Amino acid sequence: MPSLRIENIAKHFGGLKAVDGFSMEVPPGEITGLIGPNGAGKSTVVNMIAGVLSLTSGDIKLGDRSISTDRTEQVARAGIARTFQSIRLLPETTVLDNIVIGFHRHEKAGPLAALLGLPSATRELRELREKAWDLLERFHMQEYAFLAAGNLAYGHQRRVEIMRAMASDPAILMLDEPVAGMNDVESDELAEIFKQLAEQGLGLLLIEHNVGFVTRLCRQIYVLDAGRLLASGPPEQIVNDPRVIEAYIGGASAA
Amino acid sequence: MIHFYYSYQPVIDFFLLSLGFAYSQQIALRAGVFSIGTAGFAALGGYLVAILATRTEVPMWVIIPAGAAIGALGGYVLSIPLARLRGAFVAIATLAFVKVIIALALYFEDLTGGAIGVTNIPRIMDTWSLALMALLVIYVNWSIGRTTLGRIFAALAQDESVAASLGVSIRRYHMIGFMVSGAIGGLFGGLQSLYVYNIEPNAFGFAFVVTILTVVVLGGRTTLLGPIMGAGIMAILPEVARPLADNRTMVNGIIMILVITFLPRGVGDTIVDAVRHRWRQRRGASRPQKQEVADAVASD
Amino acid sequence: MLAQQILNGVVSGSIYALFALGFTLLFGVQKLLNLAHGAVFMAGAFIAYYCVIIGLPFWVGLVFAMIASGVISIIVELVAFRQIRKQVDPEFPAIVSSLGVDLILINIAQNLSNTRVLSMPFGTFPIEFYNIFGLRISLLQIVILVLVAALVGALVYYLQKTSFGRQVRAVAQNERAAALLGVSAASVYRQTFFIAGALAGVAGVLIGLSFNSIHFLMGEPYLLYAFVVVVIGGIGSVPGAVVAAILLGVTQALTKAYLSSTLSDAIIFSLLFVALLFFPNGLFGRAVLSAGGDRK
Repeated sequence: MPSLRIENIAKHFGGLKAVDGFSMEVPPGEITGLIGPNGAGKSTVVNMIAGVLSLTSGDIKLGDRSISTDRTEQVARAGIARTFQSIRLLPETTVLDNIVIGFHRHEKAGPLAALLGLPSATRELRELREKAWDLLERFHMQEYAFLAAGNLAYGHQRRVEIMRAMASDPAILMLDEPVAGMNDVESDELAEIFKQLAEQGLGLLLIEHNVGFVTRLCRQIYVLDAGRLLASGPPEQIVNDPRVIEAYIGGASAA
Repeated sequence: MIHFYYSYQPVIDFFLLSLGFAYSQQIALRAGVFSIGTAGFAALGGYLVAILATRTEVPMWVIIPAGAAIGALGGYVLSIPLARLRGAFVAIATLAFVKVIIALALYFEDLTGGAIGVTNIPRIMDTWSLALMALLVIYVNWSIGRTTLGRIFAALAQDESVAASLGVSIRRYHMIGFMVSGAIGGLFGGLQSLYVYNIEPNAFGFAFVVTILTVVVLGGRTTLLGPIMGAGIMAILPEVARPLADNRTMVNGIIMILVITFLPRGVGDTIVDAVRHRWRQRRGASRPQKQEVADAVASD
Repeated sequence: MLAQQILNGVVSGSIYALFALGFTLLFGVQKLLNLAHGAVFMAGAFIAYYCVIIGLPFWVGLVFAMIASGVISIIVELVAFRQIRKQVDPEFPAIVSSLGVDLILINIAQNLSNTRVLSMPFGTFPIEFYNIFGLRISLLQIVILVLVAALVGALVYYLQKTSFGRQVRAVAQNERAAALLGVSAASVYRQTFFIAGALAGVAGVLIGLSFNSIHFLMGEPYLLYAFVVVVIGGIGSVPGAVVAAILLGVTQALTKAYLSSTLSDAIIFSLLFVALLFFPNGLFGRAVLSAGGDRK
């Protein structure tokens, strides 16, 4: 599995330097954390990796290949999956089919086969639905399979989004505040799943506001403040770093 | 039964033709493309077929597919500049495309007959052959629903950027949507030529655009049943109430406003939604068996 | 001859600007396209026509058409957008509902005119010509240029310098945030629809008079011209819209004079499609159309 390397990237909006000279690495088989106060530029970094925003300067590499000018779908096809800070499912589509679309990267039947209703195309949908069902079982979500995703409770929607991202079988998985709005039991369950994924060799990038959750899971943490790298290192070093404590002053968000 | 057929034959034929155009319109919307260019595709297919049928000895089994092919080509070419446009602007751009096609039909008089159009086209289509072609188009749309292509279209229609984040190329699939819409529109434009004896440019104008859009809005934008319901109601309506036929434009307008405001998914889609909802409740949490899968997607 | 065509193009282009400015203003504020804008334009021409027919002076007819078109535009907002805006994804429904209102207005005009092409009675506007630097310019053309300049100036002043302008910008940026600041979105929508409708009405009267033709379907091509202007000039840009509209008017005058009047529209729209390939963000820069993000 390749690692994701972010090299000295910058994003300027006019005169505003949202991100300025930031570097980090997301190695395979580990959970890497990206934290920072609100407005630090975390979302900008995610959107630059995901191909939504262009880079003012710097480079982003997956393995040896630069992906810094790829469009969103090319980044996804290269093997980087993501979840969104504000959940974005296809609200009218069933939970099962929301996950089926996650497999798109691996589809083989072409559009012509689909238009002609050839067995190769219909069989593929059946197979992908079976695979999606396997994921649902793993997350204990079978009972919701045929509901429209938009009708699910918040915590369940988050899970569907994570399943959908996993369906693409990515090398790197970016999770943008995955436990926001969840209780401790729910977030512990997710933490277990994230650990399993890392053990399977995935590189996870956990973007969080919640410092406690990150320090429990991550081997390496990067702290972003005002678009620049404030500190990086293992969790115990980060939580004792006076600069980080100052950036998070008030402490409420470190709960 | 036979008597019924003969007295209503024109209504049935009209229904079948507008059904084909409605599927052309619907497939674009299903793919998240706000194209109202079906009239342009129909004009392309209609003129090509009319010209080939009146001026050449090309056999019909070549001419009819040629209508579909030129429609698909039109959809392909149109999709390239329109990839730059977003959402609602596509609607006006496709309207401009229709205008361009009509202007060309008026200008190249030697080929198209100008404002008079092409006349004396052999009439080879009847109710049965139109029905056969409509079934073909229904089959294609049904197939889309039974495959991942249907899921991708649904994803694009609901949230483009999410689809892109999953590796779906917006440009490629919008192009496919345009081409399928173009092929169906071109096919039925050609069939119409082989049914009505003569065609002229204004037959593909603004009135055509809004009639087909009304059918799809009224029926529904995502299900197989949608165009059938929409085309059916619009074919019967003037028969039921003659005064409505004189103010067809206004009736179309009122239907559009009422349906999109109070029944935004349209008659057909709303029915399918209700049925599907009951299916899902009954099914509970069992693994999708093969047969069930076929059922579930049959009308998507 | 060329200079004369360019002059004529500038004059008609300035009328397009009037129409397109209202169209882009509406889109800027509510992020929804108003396909009934062409019918409001047509209504303006009809209203002025009937005013003149019943014996009112042209100027009275123009002012009346302006106000009445504004009111019709408010009704368009009420019928086509008020409810639709509440839907989760109103973009397509708004296309449909505004097209629906468009059709109703067209049908009314069709019944009123018995499907005929109407024209202002002879002598409605004095026919006088002046020679300036060897160019023939009519009194009507001068009046059009002055009137358009005055209206565009008033619009810019209104948007930039008055509290209404600030409210419009607030709603355009974020309706909810604007509501928190005490700005009533409903009243902003009503006012912008009135202004856009009034501008469209004036444009309709001027076009009806210049081309001596008033017809129930006359709005449709102008809706497409407005679209061309917005794509090329950039959404929400007043100078962009004015420049693009004048460019459009000149291009149209030249294609009609030197190529073919049947093909004029086809050429203009084809040029637009070509321009989209090479200038995806419009000629004046603003990212009009890319769907979120800036990496394309």
